[in-house]
Amino acid sequence: MTRTPVLSLEKIVARYSGNTAVQLDELHVDEGELVGVVGANGAGKSTLVNAAMGWSRGKPAVSGSVRLDGKDVSGQPAHRRVAQGMLLIPEGKLIFTSLSVDENLLSEAHDPGPGRKAYSREEVFELFPRLRERRNHLGSQLSGGERQMLGIGRALRLAPRVLLLDEPSIGLAPQLVSRVLSTVRELAEGGLSVLLVEQNVKAAIRVVHRLALIERGKLVVEGTADEMRDDPRIAEAYLGANHG
Amino acid sequence: MNVTQQILNGLVIGHSYALIAIGWTVLLGVAKLVNFAHGQMYMLGAFVTWSAISQFGLPYFLAIPTAMIVGVAVAFLMQRVMLGLTLKQDLVSIMIVTLGFGHVLHGAAGLIFGSTGKLLDTPFSLRDVYYEDLWFTHQDILIVVVTVLVFLMLKLALDRTTMGRYARMVAEDPDLARLDGIDVRKVYFGVFAFQGAAVALAAAMVAPRTPILTSMGFEEVIITFAVVVLGGIGSVWGSYVAGVALGMFTAFFGALVSPAYTTAAMFVVLLTLLVLRPGGLAVGPGGR
Repeated sequence: MTRTPVLSLEKIVARYSGNTAVQLDELHVDEGELVGVVGANGAGKSTLVNAAMGWSRGKPAVSGSVRLDGKDVSGQPAHRRVAQGMLLIPEGKLIFTSLSVDENLLSEAHDPGPGRKAYSREEVFELFPRLRERRNHLGSQLSGGERQMLGIGRALRLAPRVLLLDEPSIGLAPQLVSRVLSTVRELAEGGLSVLLVEQNVKAAIRVVHRLALIERGKLVVEGTADEMRDDPRIAEAYLGANHG
Repeated sequence: MNVTQQILNGLVIGHSYALIAIGWTVLLGVAKLVNFAHGQMYMLGAFVTWSAISQFGLPYFLAIPTAMIVGVAVAFLMQRVMLGLTLKQDLVSIMIVTLGFGHVLHGAAGLIFGSTGKLLDTPFSLRDVYYEDLWFTHQDILIVVVTVLVFLMLKLALDRTTMGRYARMVAEDPDLARLDGIDVRKVYFGVFAFQGAAVALAAAMVAPRTPILTSMGFEEVIITFAVVVLGGIGSVWGSYVAGVALGMFTAFFGALVSPAYTTAAMFVVLLTLLVLRPGGLAVGPGGR
């Protein structure tokens, strides 16, 4: 008997004023699994995670089914999904810049169900000591890397069952990218399920369990990190010839 | 001209302005919404207070919360009707709908309370204080004290409470607030409720200074507009300072030139300032 995935997406279609941005048959994340979705700029990666969350800064029309631990949440607004453990760290503006670091970390989950751990602020600081040093600073004073850490910390406070990360590497220095991503990997090792959207395939393939490649809104190929490392489509397009 | 008396008048008028405007400040600062029925809600607050005292025989301190509850009810009703528009942040439609609401309130109040002026007397408004050549009423003292308290409590609530933090988060980025699990609609309802309660409180405090008419409200909405814009849109301290400054201006302009042109002169000041400092006097993040 197969286990119910923590997050499963089926027949997701997202359209912006008539243009189909995403058309995806199936994608799921198992418990403690770190799944990467990679693709070029504009392939529909962000639209896909946003659609999973029922959230967007634009106004796409989304259809399809989103299940959290087998329960259909497709009809629910984003804040209800958050309450049930779906936490999205969006691309770009992902923290409150007019609030202090401490204040950004104030919202917490109210008795989360099984399989969810609400991190205390102290635990977030242990994970990202840099944030403790900056705790009284305003969000606007943080660097890109610190913002990414704060975004993840904010989500951890709300007891994620599944973490959706949208392009955490964007704008970060290479060492910082691998630090942030290896922290994400550690969280997955600890049992957290993660869906990671990344343009930086090289960095993503080092940490993910499974990788899916999407092009023009459609899933092209999917497999374990090892399989995908040798897949010519991945190698050619993103990793450079020496990997082929 | 008795300068001390004018300063005193200015302080009282200024605190009245600030108190009348506080609901709009929060509405605009947190929810980026406007409510042009604000003036008529002020009128309604005054008449509910009057009715509670004169027709139902309630004491003043019970008439005030009665007016505030009616204010909240009207605000809730408006927000319910406009919910689609507020979530879309369709400001032009909201402006027109709220203007329409104001007219409906005006008409309804005329039917219920009649078109003649009423005297809203309170235990405080009838007690005068004479000190050397200065004159003010206990109501004036009450206005200043209540305004200062409301502003302090609002500032504390915004900075220290969970509701206040939610309000600041929604003010900065409603989309991101949703990802923090916040039901943005509830925050909008809360902000509307605050606006309704605050303007009714302002009416119960300030309206006793002059006879009340169901046709009033236009001047109040204009003053509110001036205070909010001058104070830097959405800034709590800014609108306090702007309210007091405009009150001083009104008092001295009235004494030195003529009370008849005060509103016009206020607009000249507002326009001049906006040309010089488009962001208002205090530019701060929303809701601060």
